[in-house]
Amino acid sequence: MTVISKVKQTLAGLQSAQATLKLYEAQSQNEETIRVYQEMLDTTDGIVKDLENRIKALEYEEPQYKGL
Amino acid sequence: MQDWLILLLKTIGLYFLTFIIIRLMGKSNPLKMTPFKFINYIIIAMFVVLITLNIIENWAFGMLALGVWVAFTIALDYLSIKSKQIHDIVNGKSTILIDKGKIMEENMQQSRMTGEELLSALRSKNAFSFGDVEFAVMESTGDINVLLKADKKPVTAHDLGNQVAPQSQPQTVILDGNVLDEPLSNMGLNRDWLYMQLENIGVSLENNFIGQADSSGDLFVDLFDDSLQVPMPRVKEMLFANLEKTHADLLSFALETDSNEAKNMYSKNATKLDEVVQKLKPYLLH
Repeated sequence: MTVISKVKQTLAGLQSAQATLKLYEAQSQNEETIRVYQEMLDTTDGIVKDLENRIKALEYEEPQYKGL
Repeated sequence: MQDWLILLLKTIGLYFLTFIIIRLMGKSNPLKMTPFKFINYIIIAMFVVLITLNIIENWAFGMLALGVWVAFTIALDYLSIKSKQIHDIVNGKSTILIDKGKIMEENMQQSRMTGEELLSALRSKNAFSFGDVEFAVMESTGDINVLLKADKKPVTAHDLGNQVAPQSQPQTVILDGNVLDEPLSNMGLNRDWLYMQLENIGVSLENNFIGQADSSGDLFVDLFDDSLQVPMPRVKEMLFANLEKTHADLLSFALETDSNEAKNMYSKNATKLDEVVQKLKPYLLH
């Protein structure tokens, strides 16, 4: 497995976790829980962005793996 | 009119009258009443019986006496809500039986309680040794309530220093195979959500005896067919594992990469994600 595909896999895993978390945020009844979920979603958003940038940089360095 | 017909009509009338009277007197548990209140109920019941069976010959007199008892009971109840002094006179005060681990003998005598009775009451509160009790009080209803010494109290999450997620009461959304719409809409959910959840578990609505949705929106069901194994909702645990895996991935990327900039980015995000994992732990695992 190439580095790019590994990073992409991790990104996908994180995004799936985010989606589940969003679902729970929408279903929760408790205000405090919702607030914590929102906060955590914001933090993970930053990580997702960083990983995306890293993938872009890797693709620029090694264009032969682009799109995989 | 024939005698039996009069008796029949009177009985039916008094039946509903008694029903209304008892409703008016409020919701108190007959086992947890002050002795005087208990007597009130008995006397009202007796009047009803005496009037029905014509033992009080002039039934208007009987109704008058009944009315006085009912009116006084309701009036005293009302006044004791309004005034603390009247409340204390009517319902009596609670008596302290054990204070700071010491048994108050005079108070026990006042409430006509023997040592044996006290010990038996403590045992029913799971305090088998009176040395475990810091404070015990006899309420005006005769109930005994016990505060255990700090080191004998059951452990709570607070004692362990654990953070726990707030939880509110679950809502029952399925009963006997029928969908209950009101609790569903209370939670901001609808039938479509419920059908989707049932499809995920793979059971039909008709096979459900009870379905409850907890405050985070997970559905727990019990089926009529007990031979079927229903999976417990594990989505939160999976989500937690997923986040931990991502954290581990980020750490290994930080080790593998040659670029310093990328190394910094990975380890910074790994720390961030670790914080997220720790903060979500009480919410996702419980």
